This record gives sequence, structure tokens and C-alpha cells, in this order.
Amino acid sequence: MSGRRLNLGLVTGGALVGVVVAAALVSFVWTPHDPTLVDAAGKLREPGGGYLLGADKFGRDTLSQLMVGARTTLYVGVVAVGIAAVVGTPLGVAAGMAPRSRGWLSELIMRVNDLVFAFPALLLAVMLGAVYGAGTLTAMIAIGVATVPAFARVARAATMQVMVTDYVLAARAAGRRGPAIAVRHVLPNIGSVLIVQASVSFAIAILAEAALSFLGFGTRPPTPSWGRMLQESQELLFSTPRLALWPGLAIALAVLGFNLLGDGLRDHLDPKLRSARG
Amino acid sequence: MLTVEGLSVRAEDLELVREVSFGIGPGERVGLIGESGSGKSLTALALMGLLPDGVTASGTARLGDRDLVGVPERRLKDLRGRTVSMVFQEPMTALNPLMRVGAQVAEVMTLHGVAKGRARERAAELLGRVRLPDPERIARSYPHQLSGGQRQRVMLAIALANEPDLLICDEPTTALDVTVQKQMLELIAEVAPALLFITHDLAVVASLCERVLVMYGGRVVESGPLREVFKHPRHRYTEGLLAASRLPPRGTRLATIPGAVPAAGRFPGGCVFRDRCAHATETCETAPDLTGPEEPTGPEEPTGPAELTGPEPRGDGHAFACWHPRG
Amino acid sequence: MPSPAGTPEADPVRAPAGGPAREPLIEARDLTRVYRRPRTSLTRPGEAVHALKGVSLTVHRGERFGIVGESGSGKSTLLRLLCALDRPTSGSVTFAGREVAGLPERSLRFLRRSLQIVFQDPMSSLDPRMRVRDLVAEPLVALGEPVGGRVAELLDAVGLPASAADRYPHQFSGGQRQRIAIARALAPRPEVLVADEPVSALDVSVRGQILNLLADLADELGLTLVFVSHDLAVVRHLCESVAVVHDGLIVETGPVDDVWEAPGHPYTRALLAAVPTLEGLL
Repeated sequence: MSGRRLNLGLVTGGALVGVVVAAALVSFVWTPHDPTLVDAAGKLREPGGGYLLGADKFGRDTLSQLMVGARTTLYVGVVAVGIAAVVGTPLGVAAGMAPRSRGWLSELIMRVNDLVFAFPALLLAVMLGAVYGAGTLTAMIAIGVATVPAFARVARAATMQVMVTDYVLAARAAGRRGPAIAVRHVLPNIGSVLIVQASVSFAIAILAEAALSFLGFGTRPPTPSWGRMLQESQELLFSTPRLALWPGLAIALAVLGFNLLGDGLRDHLDPKLRSARG
Repeated sequence: MLTVEGLSVRAEDLELVREVSFGIGPGERVGLIGESGSGKSLTALALMGLLPDGVTASGTARLGDRDLVGVPERRLKDLRGRTVSMVFQEPMTALNPLMRVGAQVAEVMTLHGVAKGRARERAAELLGRVRLPDPERIARSYPHQLSGGQRQRVMLAIALANEPDLLICDEPTTALDVTVQKQMLELIAEVAPALLFITHDLAVVASLCERVLVMYGGRVVESGPLREVFKHPRHRYTEGLLAASRLPPRGTRLATIPGAVPAAGRFPGGCVFRDRCAHATETCETAPDLTGPEEPTGPEEPTGPAELTGPEPRGDGHAFACWHPRG
Repeated sequence: MPSPAGTPEADPVRAPAGGPAREPLIEARDLTRVYRRPRTSLTRPGEAVHALKGVSLTVHRGERFGIVGESGSGKSTLLRLLCALDRPTSGSVTFAGREVAGLPERSLRFLRRSLQIVFQDPMSSLDPRMRVRDLVAEPLVALGEPVGGRVAELLDAVGLPASAADRYPHQFSGGQRQRIAIARALAPRPEVLVADEPVSALDVSVRGQILNLLADLADELGLTLVFVSHDLAVVRHLCESVAVVHDGLIVETGPVDDVWEAPGHPYTRALLAAVPTLEGLL
């Protein structure tokens, strides 16, 4: 049993996510064409001749749009998951660590959570869009807020499991107090669960952004976004299916990538699994 | 009745149980002693055909005229519970929490072709036989309504439901309190048709079994009649284990075996105990055979050169695998 | 004062230190603890469980005190109350004359410094994501004391190599993990070591090593030992005094040899009779 066995899911997920990230990074310095350049002559250009994936009904290069769209996708995912994790994790940990004598705190946090959870994310985005104007930022905040309860719940459940372990009791006996226990024992031990939740939420955020853009409540034109590419290809779905195929495939692979990455990381980050008997 | 010959269990490149051979006669109670990692539970699981995925058994094990090892799952399913059955250590996780206890006892009988109504009657009868008070009421209870000792009795009733020829118990009393353990051991002794009792606790074996097998590092290192083995242990591991089991009064030091039980696959070659043994020499780099009349291959001479002070067979069924035995 | 003089094998070096007038260190008075089960009905509160029904005991400085009981006897609850890891429903616990029952964690520094615990299962009581170095140093860090070279010193004291510090608990065997747990407990140089079934999760061949280590450390460091076990034989080997806990009450207490030789309470007798032994055979 020499060396560390690499986990297939982790490698595949990492590769898929890597491609998305690479495309987004490269798009800052180079794209085959200007993704927003409207070119009437190149309308619905077939793939080939410098336009690897062809062009859309405005003559914009599909590959360039996909590359810049990856930027939007990652941006939305990072900010939305960031909001959810930063708000949801402390809430969940606090609820999970609350002693029985302060059960009301736990109850309060979780019931407010339920309230937010019961509110559809898309409706929230549409409302925020109506008040503050539709756009990427509104979409991100809406998706982020809607994902907070998922994080809080997972964090609370995992925290409660950690709180009944002997090592938390041992830490208390050693003189550790609440905040130190949260930082030194709870967070590291619920980290893997949170990472899985983050990757799943990331995938959901990508989908939600695509859906919002598709509905016209997400990223505004002309900024390219995979969701909007799908929406614009809608009317040509039967005549030129490739216009829907590429952004659809991009979304699917990115979502798959983040899900696989999350699963792979969970196994990889566990010191027990990492070097079992070692 | 049960004859095991050359039973080995391996997982990938690790040999976890090596060449285990023993027999159990009808009505006989045999103890299988070992610490964690000795391979004692795997031996039992191999006999039940319940080895986890990726772990395989080789060798032969015959119960009456039926093979237990190397038999397709379909055939095993029929044997399991009917000719051999097993009681596990943890009674809470071995019972379905959502099913009434009586129904769970009846289920193992209907699985083997007993009619439903008859199975229900028999279930209550069996719960009475394992001396549960008010068996009718217990039959209607859910596992969480019972105490640990009661649950373990239910497990025993399930194991006995199809009148098996052999009962295997894997640490059935380890999770129980001593006062409850005592009653449970008495009950097992009373109801077991033939018994293979697996434990790490020498005193428990002493109170229950007639014969013992001592396992270490996946091998049987000593076997024989209980009194003989416990009074005159020959293998140095058995000797150490017996000494370590004794708790003298305050002020005296406890006998210990140095080091720790290695992880699976980390046992030394040759004699598996030699890295913890004070008597180990170069000779011990060669694996000693388990010799004595217990050897099912017949009374062969030790395979080593004649000059070696290898184990000599004895006439009392006491066998051991040690180059430098005690006494 | 229980005199071990009657038992010839008793080694005078290991005999209890101190004279007959040893001062009380831990005193529990009329401890009760009632748990409430979660409510199953909207109108009625959850069922009350009386885990402790009025327990008093005194542990003297330098004494080795055993607490024996089966699961559900209340011994774990008692242990938690003595260590101020739980609050009693009523009654008091004093440590060196100071009340500890019901105090908030921030007022318990004196107790955490002076009393440390070794738990039953060294796998679950050591945070799997921390290195041994951090685990052993944790009580010092928590108390705001310098760590310095103490980790290596402690590992040495429990018979582990200094290189153990960089590894994770799962890389050790059960006995080694319990040594790590003992090193950790000794880090703030406590007066009292509370051990909760420290050997019941260990292999028989390793049990003796840990019990010997505990006895040696108690001698060398002059520790007061509170040893909780389900096994009276283990307590007899290690302790001078014993309290037998059954059904939330101390049913019998006294010098361990007396309790062992002539148990006064029917429950103690039943307990002794139930323990399987090798003695009859050997």
C-alpha cells in the first residue's frame, strides 16, 4: 500500500472544474473573438475557419462567449456560496453548540431558517430584481441568501454530532471554552461536510444563475452568461440545436465537476481515510 | 461434526487468517480466544459466509455433510440460520428498530419455509426458552423498549429459531454488564447445540467452554482442552495472555506483554508472536507448525530438521505452534 | 486508615502515602441529578430520570479512590459532576474547599488546572484531526500556559517517542492512544487524575501496561487518583478505597480490601459473584 491512491471522482471533478477555471482566466487576456461583437455577416456561422464552435444569430463567436460566460458562472458561484457559507455556518454552529439550557437560541435560529428555506429562491431573485433592478449582483445575493438555510442545517447537524463526541468533552475537561471548541474542534471536524455542501451549493448556484438569466432576471446583456446563451438559442432550438447544446453542455459539465470535486474532497480530506493504518 | 481444514481469509494482498484447522463435536463448546486483529471474528464470518466485499476465504469447512466455504451465496443463504447461526456483539444494531421483536424472530423461520401462523407461535415459545419474562409481551415490543441483556436474548432466540446444528457467538456479552453477562453465559451453555464462542476474555471462556483455540496474528497458536491449556499453557503468547489476565491485589506489578498487537498485515513473518516474545530466537523466523493430535492432517512429524527443539505432539489433544514452548 | 500491612505481597513503596489525617480534597454532598427525557406529548413534560439520588463521598489528597458500577448505575453522571462537566440538580461538590458545582466555565480554571481526566475510549476522546503535539498541549494552551518542551517531556513520561508528536491519533494502537491521553491529562501538572474506564477498551495484553503506567505516575507525581470502572478486580488492584454505585446511590464504600473480602451490600455480593474469574482454574 505505498503512496496515496488518487480518487477517480476527485481527479475527474478537479479536471472539469479546472477547465472552467482555466477558460475563465484565459478569457481575461485572450478570446478567439470579441464575445460581444455583433457581426451581421457572420450570423449563424457554421463551426470552422477560426470559429471553432460557430456563431450565434448575432454573429457572436460561441467559444468566446462560453469562455467569458465561465467567468460569470464562477463569479456567481463563489459569491453566492460565499454568502451562504459565511452567514450559514456560524448560525448552524451556534445552533448546534447551544446547550440544552439555551435551547431557545437553537430553535429561533432554525425556525427563521425554515422561513427562508420555504421561500423559493427564484421568487426571491425576481422580487429583488424588481426592487433593485435585475443583474448579476442581485442574482448572486438572492441565490446566496436562499442557500443560507442549507448551510445552517448541515452545519448544525454536523456540529451536534461533534458536540456529543468524547473529544469535545475532553476539550472541556482540558479547560477549553465555547469559542475555542468551535474553532479548534467543531470547524475542522465539520469542514469536510461543509466542503461537500459548498460544492453541491456551487452546482445549484450555477443552475440557478442559468435559470435566472434564462428568465431574464440574471445577467444583463451584453455580458455573456451560459444561461442567457441558452435563452437566446431557444427560438432556434430546432434549426440550430448546437447553439443550445454548447452552453447546456457547459452547465452540465460544470455542475458535474463541482459535485464530483465535493465528493472527492470529502474522502481526500479525511485523515483517517487518507493514510489509513499508516 | 464441524471440521475446518486450512481455512485462510485474505483481503487483496493481506492474509488475515492463515491455515486455521479445528473441529467441533456435537454438543461441544469451543472457545476461540484472541485480541483485536487476531482474525477470530473473520474466522467466524468465513464460516457464516458473511465476509465483507473484497475479502475471500479458502480451505474447507464442513458441517455434517455440507460445505460452508467456497459455496455460492444462494446455497449459503439456505444454510445460514438453519444449520449455522450467529449472535453478534452489538444487539442494538443487529435488530431492526422498526419491527416488533416477535415478528423478527418469526421472520427467520418463515424465510426457511415455516408457515406464518406457526412461526408466530414458535416465536413466543422461543422467547420463553431464552428465559425472557412474559414472552407474549416481549414479542409485541420494539427493540428500543428492551434492555441490552433482553435484546441479546432476543438475538439468541433468533439464532436458535431454526434449530441450527452449530451456534457461533461473537463477543455476545462484551457490551453487557457483568451481572447480566453471567445469566447470558449460563443461558448460552444451556441452549447451544454445539458452540463456537469468540471472545477476548479468558475468564469468560473458562466459565463456559471445554476446549479452546488461541488465535494471534491470524493463526491458531495453541489449542486443546481448556484446563490443560489454561493450567499448562505452552505457547508463549498464551502464557503471557493468561498472566496479563490476572489482577493481583494492590502493590504488585501486573504482568504485561511488551508492545502492542500489530495492525493487520504488520505481523512478523515466521512465528507471528516473535516480535513481542522474550524467548524469540533465529529459529522463530521459520513459522512453527501447530502440532499435536489436533492436526487434522494426521500425526505427522514436525517438518523442521530433527535437531530443532520443535513442538512435540502430545497425547492429550493439546497442540501449540511454538519453537520454545513453556515447560 | 485501611492498612495494607495484612497483605504480605503489598510493596511498601507503593503503599498509600500520607498519614491517617489526610485532608479531604474532593467532597460531594447529597448530589442529585435529574434528567428529563425529551417530551413526547404537548401537554406533559418529558419523563424524569433520576440518575443520581443523593450521593456523598470524600476523596482525600493522595488517595486512590475507585468508583465501581454498571452501566446506568449513575457512575458516569457522578464522574461528570465531580469534574464539573455537568451541573447537579441539587447538592454540592467542593474541590480543596471551593465550591465547583454550577459554576460557569470561566470560573473553573482552578479546577481545570488541578484536575484532569482520561476517558474510556482513546479513539473517540482524541480529536482525529489534531496532531499528537496539539492534543497533548491543548490543556496548556487552554489555560494560557507556556508549552515549551513539555510535549516531548510528557510523551517520554508515558513511554512514547518524541517523534509521536507529529502524527495523528489513528496512526497509533489503542494502548498508545491511551498513553497519549494520559500525557495530555498530565500536561498542566494536575493534582488529581480522574480515569473513566481507561482500560476497558484495550486488549488484555496491553491493559497491564496502562494500569502499571497509571500506578507509576501516581507514585512519582504524588497524584490523587479517581478511577471509575465496572470491574471491581481492576479497582482492587489499583485503589485503596472504593464506592460501589448502584441505581443512583452509593450502596457501599470503604477500603477496597474490606469490600472485596467481605462485601456488605447484597448488590456488591452479586457483582462479585458475577465476575468470571480464572482463579478457580489456576
